[in-house]
Amino acid sequence: MGNEKLRIKKLYALSSENRKFSFSLPLKHSIKIGKREYEVKLKADEKYGTYILWKNRKYPVEILRSSQNKYEILFNDISYNFTVETPFSLQRMKVLNSKQGKIEKEIIKAPMPGKIIDVLVREGSTVLKGEPLVILEAMKMQNEILSPVNGMIEKVMAKPNTNVMKDDLLVQIKL
Amino acid sequence: MGICRCKAQGTGHRAQGTGHRAQGTGHREQRTENREKTGYKVNTFKDKREHAKRMRIKPPLGGFRQKNHEKLIILDVMKIERILIANRGEIAVRIMKTAKLMKIETVVVKTAVEPNAMYLSAADVIFDNTEDNSEIPVFLNIEKLIAIALETKANAIHPGYGFLAENAYFAQKCIDNKLIFIGPSPDAIYKMGNKTIARKIAMASGIPMAMGSEGNIANEGEAILIAEKIGYPVIIKAASGGGGRGMRIVRKAEEMEKLFIIASKEAEKSFNDPSVFVEKYIENPKHIEFQILGDTKGNVIHLGERECSIQRKHQKLLEEAPSGALDEKLRKKMGNMAVQIAKAVDYHSAGTVEFLLDSQKNFYFMEMNTRIQVEHPVTEVITGLDLIEQQIRIADGEELKFKQGDIKLNGWAIECRINAEDVQAGFAPAPGKIESLHLPSDPCVRVDTGVHSGSSIVASYDSMIAKLIVRGKDRKDALKNCKMALDKVWIKGTKTTLPFFRMLVRHQKFVDGSFTTSFIEKDLEKYYFNSEYEEMLAAWLATKLFVEENLNDDSINVNFEHGKVMSPWLLNKRINQF
Repeated sequence: MGNEKLRIKKLYALSSENRKFSFSLPLKHSIKIGKREYEVKLKADEKYGTYILWKNRKYPVEILRSSQNKYEILFNDISYNFTVETPFSLQRMKVLNSKQGKIEKEIIKAPMPGKIIDVLVREGSTVLKGEPLVILEAMKMQNEILSPVNGMIEKVMAKPNTNVMKDDLLVQIKL
Repeated sequence: MGICRCKAQGTGHRAQGTGHRAQGTGHREQRTENREKTGYKVNTFKDKREHAKRMRIKPPLGGFRQKNHEKLIILDVMKIERILIANRGEIAVRIMKTAKLMKIETVVVKTAVEPNAMYLSAADVIFDNTEDNSEIPVFLNIEKLIAIALETKANAIHPGYGFLAENAYFAQKCIDNKLIFIGPSPDAIYKMGNKTIARKIAMASGIPMAMGSEGNIANEGEAILIAEKIGYPVIIKAASGGGGRGMRIVRKAEEMEKLFIIASKEAEKSFNDPSVFVEKYIENPKHIEFQILGDTKGNVIHLGERECSIQRKHQKLLEEAPSGALDEKLRKKMGNMAVQIAKAVDYHSAGTVEFLLDSQKNFYFMEMNTRIQVEHPVTEVITGLDLIEQQIRIADGEELKFKQGDIKLNGWAIECRINAEDVQAGFAPAPGKIESLHLPSDPCVRVDTGVHSGSSIVASYDSMIAKLIVRGKDRKDALKNCKMALDKVWIKGTKTTLPFFRMLVRHQKFVDGSFTTSFIEKDLEKYYFNSEYEEMLAAWLATKLFVEENLNDDSINVNFEHGKVMSPWLLNKRINQF
């Protein structure tokens, strides 16, 4: 097992926007920009918490979530989602993706915690992109949740006058 | 207002000064005692000069000397002795800062929601209200606040902004209980607070306005009739509204029914008043507002404008003063209109008249805010005035010490509202605990905040962390300083609006000044800035974590037991486990 792992020469960090960053192993504490290598230091102290020191500047970092090979990292107040893949798992992922084909449904989640004021669609009705689906009240503001796609309402999970948490499922749309 | 003599003499000044005040007015023993406890010192020559300035002590001929000989100075005593601050957070801290300079005591209310809030530490007296389990927050509870003021022997109330700041009934209640309300008259608050009445007053004063309904409208049918007369798009607004609530833009008749109900419901929820009206929606305007100051003797002046066009869903994010869109002539014209409308309601205290400015430089009256505003510091920076001090002096009955001609605008100021919001999730509130907070200290930066490391941003109140106010000799200079200051702000524990401002100061349309209120919705593809290497560094970190967690190779992995070098991240994780 250990021997197998040692044979890995490279790791890839894939961002949620499908950008690929590759790093050779063993992982160096430096990043090459052009012809120069710049040292990267991961540090922590009481005053600043955890941070990365790069080119004489401190950047605040936090690990928001990590499960298996998925990482959500807050870097300088912006969060990034990565999956870290080995050359083998990347290859396997590519094969799986090509077999899976197109996405067929869109699931609308609550963008923030709040209260459902009104549900404007019914199961079976068709919606156009930009049409309001649900009215969600958060911090005394009524927000319209708009459909990001054209499609048919497959399922309505949101109920009027109920409270929802962030990322609770509201509506499922069939494309 | 009494005139009394006191001695300006070295360190003896304080004891003699306060003692004298006690004699002069006869019933200030209690207060003198408190002062002994809280204490202030007038020791140095510089302190003495500053003290004289703040207390309006006229310096003797030849000025203060460091020698210890007696001087006669004149001091008029203020009626306001102790202020209850009916607010929390940043604005409570801000008010106390000025009160302290004016040697006025302050009372704040400790709540169960924020028992360790920063504003508590700056006050002279803390009223403990943590046992209160009423459903209404204390800052909205008129009866309770009045009772607290009376119990703590405060003789004035400053409402700050939000909560009861624009509640005419609260202002009246203060007066009824012989408490000085630091703000305008209940009558002015009522008239300007009700948008339909305000429209009528503005119309009668000849202020240009967007066309719209005469008064409130009863139903969507009536709204459609008016919209057809003035032409789409129109905007539905709550009569008692503010802060973007109860407001909806309608672009065609079919949308009216739905949006009318939403606006009306939201208005009822937020302001306890479902009434709405309709007016012509001005496309892509700039939001320009004028700061005005009026005293109780009928003098009203303006302190120039603020540009507040950077807003999202009618919530301001960045303000600056002055505005690049105004020249001297337009400034004078709009300023005069602002003064005129304030005079129409016999306005006193600080107030703000909001206008929309279209691309042809036509301006339209929108509303008047009868309170101190979040963005007041930018005006303070360019005018050199302390607006809270002016509010207190005016409430005390003082006449304005300056005329319109004395007001000069110097330099440029930009304010960024650093809020606990997730810019990547449509500015959704991101309450949480501020684990570490470091704010720049630089001569060109002023920070107004109500939190420190360890404070929590609670969901029950607004999401403000700090206001970063940056000055420069002109806009370009202020922008440069702002860019620098934004990189010096360090906040851990919650996501903030910082990445948004970092993007903004680099955006061509913001830099050249051609932005309007639709900037965020229409001109932005991405709400945040990250330098080209930041994502790569984050990717490196993810990879590093993966290596540490999954690839059990001793050359890479950290061995806690054998005392090898620990990665700080792992160390942190381990410490947290124990």
